[in-house]
Amino acid sequence: MKNNIRVERAIKNITQADLAETIGVSRQTINTIESNRYVPSTVLALKIARVFGKPVEEIFTLDDED
Amino acid sequence: MKSRFLFPYWFRYFGLALILFHVPVVLFKKELGFDQAGANNPDLFNSHHVFFMTTTLLMAVGLFFAAFAKEKIEDEQTSQLRLDSLQWAIYVNYVLLVVSLILSSDTEHILFLNLLVPLVFFIVRFRWKIFQNNRLLKKEEA
Repeated sequence: MKNNIRVERAIKNITQADLAETIGVSRQTINTIESNRYVPSTVLALKIARVFGKPVEEIFTLDDED
Repeated sequence: MKSRFLFPYWFRYFGLALILFHVPVVLFKKELGFDQAGANNPDLFNSHHVFFMTTTLLMAVGLFFAAFAKEKIEDEQTSQLRLDSLQWAIYVNYVLLVVSLILSSDTEHILFLNLLVPLVFFIVRFRWKIFQNNRLLKKEEA
């Protein structure tokens, strides 16, 4: 699964730490999601999407391998 | 995400302290060789048995606390890492158990190994994964 959290963060001008604090996870988790090492749960994906005010599909997209 | 059945964060240090405390006690006894006379005494609760029981319990409880204490920030990724590490620990434990059952008949030591390996391997693997994530974050920030 791919995501464009990094781009969305840049648009909104928030850091990994800000995002982590808003949704109540560690910075490490945001970092591993951004670098595609960790696939978040649906709950976490929805929370991230809510921060950016966009539907989940605009932030997370399926990869060829999925 | 709620993590159930975990000890508070500071239990990790409490657990490590128990493990560290148990090491010199056991070494002291082994080095000085006092109370070796009771080693072959089959009675329960003779001094040898009580010493063995208390030190083993100290270590096992210490390992247990260190293994199942909460992280500073508990989230779903730590839960997943914990589960993955537990799976690995069980695999490694059973492979070692089967190998040692085939190659050895020293059941007392096999039991002891069985007591240690899952928790130690779990702690090492879990902490290694946490360390890797921290390193990745630091690299990102640099």
